Amino acid sequence: MSSPMMQFVRYPQRMPDKRPAAVRRADFGEIYAEFDPAGAAEQASRCEQCGVPFCQVHCPLHNNIPDWLMMTAEGRLREAYELAAATNSFPEICGRICPQDRLCEGNCVIEQAGHGAVTIGAVERYITETAFAEGWVRPIAPAVERPQSVGIIGAGPAGLACAEMLRRRGYRVEVYDRHDRIGGLLIYGIPGFKLDKRVVERRARLLREAGIVFHLSCGIGESGPSFAELRRRHDALFIATGVYEARKLAAPGVGLPGIVAALDYLIAANRRDLGDHVPAFESGLLDARDKHVVVVGGGDTAMDCVRTAIRQGARSVKCLYRRDRDNMPGSQREVQHAEEEGVEFVWRAAPEAFLGEDRVRAVRAIRMRLGPPDATGRRRPEPVPGSQFELAADLVVEALGFDPEDLGGLFGEPALELTRWGTIRIDWTTMMTSLEGVFAGGDIVRGASLVVWGIRDGRDAAAAIHDHLAARTAAEGRLALVS
Amino acid sequence: MRQFEEHAAEFVARAEAGRRRLIEAGLYDPAWEHDACGVGCVVAIDGTPRREVVVKGIQALKAVWHRGAVDADGKTGDGAGILLQIPQEFFREQIKGARDTEKRLGVGMVFLPRNSLAQQETCRALVESEIIRFGYTVRGWRQVPVDTSVIGEKAAATRPEIEQIVIGNPRCVEEDRFERELYVIRRRIEKAVLAENITDFYICSLSCRTVVYKGLFLAEQLDNFYPDLADERFRSAFALFHQRYSTNTWPSWKLAQPFRVLAHNGEINTLRGNVNWMRSHETRMEAPLLGEHNEDVKPIIQAGSSDSAALDAVFEALTQGGRLLPLVKTLLIPPAWSQRMAMPQAHRDLFNYCNCVMEPWDGPAAVVATDSRWVVAGMDRNGLRPMRYSRTRDGLLVVGSETGMVPLAETEIVEKGRVGPGEMIGVDLEAGRFYRDGELKDHLAGLKPYGRWVENITYLDRLTARRGFTTTRYPRSELRRRQALYGITLEDMELILSPMVLEAKEPVGSMGDDTPLAVLSKRYRGLHHFFRQQFSQVTNPPIDPLREYRVMSLKTRFGNLGNVYDEDPSQTAILEASSPVLTSTDYEAVLEYFGPKVRMLDCTFPVGGGNGLRDALESLREQAEEAVRGGCESLVLTDEAVSPERAPVPMILAVGAVHSHLVRQGLRSFSYITVRSGECLDVHYFAVLIGVGATAVHAYLAEAAIVERHERGLFPDLTLEECLARYKEAVGQGLLKIMSKMGISIISSYRGGYNFEAVGLSRTLCREYFPGLATRISGIGLVGIENRVRAQHGKAFGEAEPPIAVGGFYRYRRSGETHALEAHMIHQLQHAVASDSYQAYKRYAEMVYAQDPVSIRDLLDFDRKLPPVSIDEVESITEIRKRFVTPGMSLGALSPEAHETLTIAMNRIGAKADSGEGGEGRERYLPRPNGDNPNSPIKQVASGRFGVTAEYLNAARELEIKIAQGAKPGEGGQLPGFKVTAEIARLRHSTPGVTLISPPPHHDIYSIEDLAQLIYDLKQINPDAKVCVKLVSEAGIGTIAAGVAKAKADVILVSGHSGGTGASPQSSIKFAGAPWELGLAETHQLLALNRLRHRVVLRTDGGLKTGRDIVIAAMLGAEEFGIGTLSLIAMGCIMVRQCHTNTCPVGVCTQREDLRRKFTGTAEKVVNLMSFIAEEVREILASLGLRSLEEAIGRTDLLRQVGRGGPDLDDLDLNPILVRTEDGGFPPHCAIEGRNEVPDTLDAQMVEDARAALEEGEKMQLQYNVRNIHRAVGTRLSAHIPRRYGMDRLPPGHITVRLRGSAGQSLGAFAVRGLKLEVFGDANDYVGKGLSGGTITVRPLVSSPIVARDNTIIGNTCLYGATAGRLFAAGRAGERFAVRNSGAVTVVEGCGDNGCEYMTGGVAVILGPVGDNFAAGMSGGMAYVWDPKEELALRINTDMVIYQRLEVDHYVEELRGLLEEHRRETHSELAERILLAFDRELPRFWQIVPKEMLDKLEVPVRREDPGQLRA
Repeated sequence: MSSPMMQFVRYPQRMPDKRPAAVRRADFGEIYAEFDPAGAAEQASRCEQCGVPFCQVHCPLHNNIPDWLMMTAEGRLREAYELAAATNSFPEICGRICPQDRLCEGNCVIEQAGHGAVTIGAVERYITETAFAEGWVRPIAPAVERPQSVGIIGAGPAGLACAEMLRRRGYRVEVYDRHDRIGGLLIYGIPGFKLDKRVVERRARLLREAGIVFHLSCGIGESGPSFAELRRRHDALFIATGVYEARKLAAPGVGLPGIVAALDYLIAANRRDLGDHVPAFESGLLDARDKHVVVVGGGDTAMDCVRTAIRQGARSVKCLYRRDRDNMPGSQREVQHAEEEGVEFVWRAAPEAFLGEDRVRAVRAIRMRLGPPDATGRRRPEPVPGSQFELAADLVVEALGFDPEDLGGLFGEPALELTRWGTIRIDWTTMMTSLEGVFAGGDIVRGASLVVWGIRDGRDAAAAIHDHLAARTAAEGRLALVS
Repeated sequence: MRQFEEHAAEFVARAEAGRRRLIEAGLYDPAWEHDACGVGCVVAIDGTPRREVVVKGIQALKAVWHRGAVDADGKTGDGAGILLQIPQEFFREQIKGARDTEKRLGVGMVFLPRNSLAQQETCRALVESEIIRFGYTVRGWRQVPVDTSVIGEKAAATRPEIEQIVIGNPRCVEEDRFERELYVIRRRIEKAVLAENITDFYICSLSCRTVVYKGLFLAEQLDNFYPDLADERFRSAFALFHQRYSTNTWPSWKLAQPFRVLAHNGEINTLRGNVNWMRSHETRMEAPLLGEHNEDVKPIIQAGSSDSAALDAVFEALTQGGRLLPLVKTLLIPPAWSQRMAMPQAHRDLFNYCNCVMEPWDGPAAVVATDSRWVVAGMDRNGLRPMRYSRTRDGLLVVGSETGMVPLAETEIVEKGRVGPGEMIGVDLEAGRFYRDGELKDHLAGLKPYGRWVENITYLDRLTARRGFTTTRYPRSELRRRQALYGITLEDMELILSPMVLEAKEPVGSMGDDTPLAVLSKRYRGLHHFFRQQFSQVTNPPIDPLREYRVMSLKTRFGNLGNVYDEDPSQTAILEASSPVLTSTDYEAVLEYFGPKVRMLDCTFPVGGGNGLRDALESLREQAEEAVRGGCESLVLTDEAVSPERAPVPMILAVGAVHSHLVRQGLRSFSYITVRSGECLDVHYFAVLIGVGATAVHAYLAEAAIVERHERGLFPDLTLEECLARYKEAVGQGLLKIMSKMGISIISSYRGGYNFEAVGLSRTLCREYFPGLATRISGIGLVGIENRVRAQHGKAFGEAEPPIAVGGFYRYRRSGETHALEAHMIHQLQHAVASDSYQAYKRYAEMVYAQDPVSIRDLLDFDRKLPPVSIDEVESITEIRKRFVTPGMSLGALSPEAHETLTIAMNRIGAKADSGEGGEGRERYLPRPNGDNPNSPIKQVASGRFGVTAEYLNAARELEIKIAQGAKPGEGGQLPGFKVTAEIARLRHSTPGVTLISPPPHHDIYSIEDLAQLIYDLKQINPDAKVCVKLVSEAGIGTIAAGVAKAKADVILVSGHSGGTGASPQSSIKFAGAPWELGLAETHQLLALNRLRHRVVLRTDGGLKTGRDIVIAAMLGAEEFGIGTLSLIAMGCIMVRQCHTNTCPVGVCTQREDLRRKFTGTAEKVVNLMSFIAEEVREILASLGLRSLEEAIGRTDLLRQVGRGGPDLDDLDLNPILVRTEDGGFPPHCAIEGRNEVPDTLDAQMVEDARAALEEGEKMQLQYNVRNIHRAVGTRLSAHIPRRYGMDRLPPGHITVRLRGSAGQSLGAFAVRGLKLEVFGDANDYVGKGLSGGTITVRPLVSSPIVARDNTIIGNTCLYGATAGRLFAAGRAGERFAVRNSGAVTVVEGCGDNGCEYMTGGVAVILGPVGDNFAAGMSGGMAYVWDPKEELALRINTDMVIYQRLEVDHYVEELRGLLEEHRRETHSELAERILLAFDRELPRFWQIVPKEMLDKLEVPVRREDPGQLRA
């Protein structure tokens, strides 16, 4: 066969060069270098071109991964980009921050068989960066302009993906966000060493150039128009606010100063990175410099916090997690990075109390062990009696996850049906909420989840909104004919 | 007697009703019946009638009984007969008052309807009135004496009233005219009777020269049934005889042969096309000799004729019209000529002329024919039937399928020969001259100045060379839109089109097709997806397009076909293309050639408005007819005019509509049809277009895609011209492959032949546009097709930029086609078997059931009309599991770990694993110390015969003859060189690293009687094993299966098209074969109808995935079930579909050490899988109120159709597979204990006589007389040796058996070391088949006057699949000598075509001429050819070998040693002569060495080996 593929039998897995831990600790720059063309082609050529591509099956976006890997291996990067962009609104972002080891790469057939996954994420990033560099990425220029307009609440991944897809079809799109920048968690939640802020801003610029209108610093029902007003203004609405209500520990001493919420901590760091003036940081409240830092939690947010603390010059950084490495929700790859950078993981330990007088001084933790699996199949941790120990802590970051805010109250719309967890209830086949013409997606529907799921929801919602509006237009057309 | 007759009549009535039901239901068509036979003739060369000729003809029939079949009653044969000169004396005495002036009486042999006296009278009146109308007189009717006691029940019940009519010639019309008018009279009678709706009337012969005696009895009963024949007055100068072996047992007296002119052993594969083309030719056929009666004889072919009858009809029409009989044979069954280098130019011109006149009737054919002046015996281009002849001192020529059929004194025989591929011998009775092939062709070639005539031919290649290059281009966006319109995807581009350009070959894939049938798919599928390629199995062989391409041709004629009776230079004024695949350049050149006689037909329809498609088709037909009637010679159908407003008419439909219409109007031969299609891209599409009538095809959009890719630099190092040429080459190769599957060699005979089965096309639509195309379950019609085309049009033109479609038809893509096994199911199943969790398995099964319909069975559900039973009452898992089989997956395709694990698992549960084709090491025949048994109970015998030794065959409980494989029916297996490790090579007796390809056909199975012979051989070599025959589902499989059952198979396996493969062309995986549901149901029904069902076990495989599938299969008739892909998944396979690349990442389907280490399969996982399926079967059975699987077999009444496909289908009707047939009260499952035994041969006596040797190990010599009816001599004896002494403990020649006479087929098959067979006389086909160490010598009797080296002494296909041993024959061998030899050493004195083909080992010395295509595909071993006439260069196929003079002493000594051994063993005069002057003769020898071996030989064959120099 002339195909250059299936080379995993020849080449071992190789990631793009990673900057040494000592160097990368000192700044907020991304840790991976770019593939060189030969390296990307070589790594892409390791793909087995499976009959059943598990990578695609387990990708929330169902990216046609084997196809663009083949294009990359053959040096057909423009086609590779077109394919990657056809199913993904922000391939350069997914290539950087997707937990590939749990999605495509984790299910890669050659990974499963023990040969080391194809470095799908890195190739995706390479393809898209090449496309940007070559000028192949152009703002959307719709073939037709449609009269209908759609309002989108939230400029995070779901909202932006939805905006992009609708604009592609020629709708007028206006996006509302309470923050002053486009991107939601992409811009403020995810640290720069994982996702360079310029990458997000570049994407935001393209969307603006495509004619999408953004209303920033515009909280619905707060600083901006009311929800009811938005419904009047637009033919359809898409709610993609995300979930921002941080979960809190219930333990003695939680109210002590020096115990902060993860998102507050990360946003401050990211704003600093973007050059903003952040008083809470400058006051030292949200700065880890020279502190003993303890982060509680085992998810990706916790990983972001520990690694941010390292970069801020903490004296020590510990991560406290109830389960063990194999049972943590966060990405293994992130754990590895964090360890390289000097983070200490304290597995199977949970905080029992926060000690200190006027501010936190230490965390008293207790050892946990894994009991029998519960209904979800995960083994439930239980404390080991008498195993308490103390950890010094000047700064404690709670990274325990997020819950939705009280949307009903915020929007003043009691008819918007919520679930008992406070997320919005939608009909998954139409993506529509209980309100006619109001759609929702992303974390506010799913609960805290991955960026890639947000993109998926945004794209699905765009298709659903299109169908909805097309059906309505058709119906109106029929009515018009009748009258 | 009376009671018996009533019983028989009742039987016939019941059986007839059952048969009619099946026909009406549409699952069975009598046209699918096949036959094959023994055939021959005896001729007095001087033309003087002799009694001896008749006697010997009858004797011959008695000696080929084994080539026919016997029904269960032991008496009903499939028919036999004899054609003789009319003994005028005899008939003159039968009637009173003949005048002496009437030199000749005419005699008609007539079958009248026996059961209706009224009809008899009508027939007699019609016969008489036509005779009288022509001025002849009726001398009387004679009731032919018959002895009905010798015929069987069915034959008696269907026996006609047999009478002769004697016709006087009072006007003394001269004989030739009398004969010709009798022909016209017969045709007129036939039409008149048909007009009266009488079907049981048949005229065997009506002639003043010849008479035919035939009927439905065993050949040996011929003269008992017809006492006339015993009358001494029956004398004749020739006797043509025939014995029939039909695949089914449907009694038919008139299908017995000979017919009026010929007797035919074989099968016309191109029948449908030939019949259609004849209809087109007829319009212009005017024979001056027939004058005003030309129309009387039309239609030349009667509706409903068998292939042989149709061929006879054309033979007869052409000879009666005045064409010379030998030329008629050449016209209709020409030899392969265009690529044979060793052929005189005069012959070439003759055949080139014939090619201009009409299209050949292609397929295996041994014919004997006579027009009373000439008797000819001829062979098809491939030589697919044996035909041997002997000439005696007193001027008798005896021709027949076997030598020795007519006992002749060896001392009387002056010549022994055979009729080779495309050859013909003949006797001119008037001149009293015998013509050998070359002489006869010289004679024909000299009759007319053919050489000058063929100069009129214009060759397209020359026109295009003059015109210069043009091409088709579209801007990228337009290209993409047009591709979207036809559903052409990125996958089509990357996986199909690109490799075709880069490799000039069709792309290869692996595993099976698990996408939905096109009719069930929710996605747009081109119309070609509804056409399944047909293929030949059992009754005739596929051709080998890889190694035997020299007999194949894609030559395509454009131009007017004239009057077939003509013989003048106008017939050669045609345009000829080398291929029906056109590029833009070709296309433009054709247009230019025809100039104003071209008419373009636009194949698009407006998207606005209803009925668009139907109107468009109607309009196309009208335009085409009008154009042709107006003198247009060249119709061009094009869909280029698609636009936002116009959608394409699916091109297949357009061509079908126009072609069928023109055929119906008798206009097709006036014009040719060129197609410009956008949808056409892969080989299959081309094949369908041509198959439904297109002359040539230009795939303009595929071309534009190549151009676009070329411009993007995706074909570096190739010019655009090269790219297009490679694509054309790849399509051409693919077409050859598709044709070859059907056994068709010539594209002109394939064209318009509908060699497909439609699955899911509406019956109405097929009848209208593709008449004759089988479509059993109906399906989508014009409305549905139009909807889908419109929807696709909407997608392509609805958006500014149509989205990129990535595909998903070949490999899963989320946005593409459904696949039966998707990712979550694979993981769930693997989880279930690894955790031993039945609950997890059930979740897997639920996932399968929740899926959209993929196969026919997904439209069925159980009809739970019986009260359920408790599951405790249902038979155990253990019982059910025994019915499971892991189908043939070879060690080679699978890794050793996977192969062994499967076998061990299946043995643990008493189920069966099949070894696949690739041998199995001796170390696996015994259980391991831990008790694991890695010995496959089923050992496969496939066409490559890899590793098939006597020992291997004896280590089996069942031997499976793989006729076809679901993923690639009609093709051989292939194992890429990189998978041939040292270990694999050892098992297969081949060379590591060298690609192994199995021939498409089994070279010892060209017909049903050949299969019977192989079954016989296998039952001899293993006295205990059952024999299974693996077939692939297709329309007509039922009748084939009936033949297989009659051939004494014990198990019949019906494989579905979805079965897997380690490597095959994508178009085969996707488009060949049919679902098993159809084939299984048909097989079960036909076997029951023929009272054969209870004699065989029926097994099925192909995508069985759950307990539900198993129970449905049982209800459709299966007793055992193959579970292939799923068992691989249980061992860790994740359907990567890269089996053919050796990169299986989980170590299942790879030979790489590093990847094999990743194998995680265990026997436990496989056992779990089988247990889970069995448990689910139990649950289903309980819910159905059944207690065992056996109770479910054939219970189609417990199934009902619950889905009917999409809402816009005409009707998807599964009734055909659900009908239950009349079964005569026999059980619907196998009721035979043990196996169907075959009759004993000489070996029964030999084993008895050799007791001392077999039991005590004494050395012995035995001696017998032998006849051709003694088959497989030495094989049963060989079975005893390895069982007692192993393969190598007895020294060679320990038991010597001396035989005198003509040995039957398969002499010494699988003979082992320790046995030596010495034949004095000659032998038939398959000498030393599978030779496993034994020694065979064949030499003429010392008293024989013939010159040994000039005569044929052993038949065709000798040493096929031999692995060790020695064969010495003092004389010539037939075709395919030493094919697939992988270890035997042999010396013969000449051989036919395709000698040493596919050889992978051993040494062959040929002291004399070799036929064409010598050493094709030879990848191992060595050959030496003594070539004093310097002909080898013209005949050798050097694709894989080099040939040179002997340079190295080592090999000179090897050769000399073999010559000495040959002299010693056979007393060969030739060997003696060569040895005497060895130094002088040595330079006349060639040494033939495979290229692959050059650097692997221990002793290099070249004196200055470059490898050595470097070292």
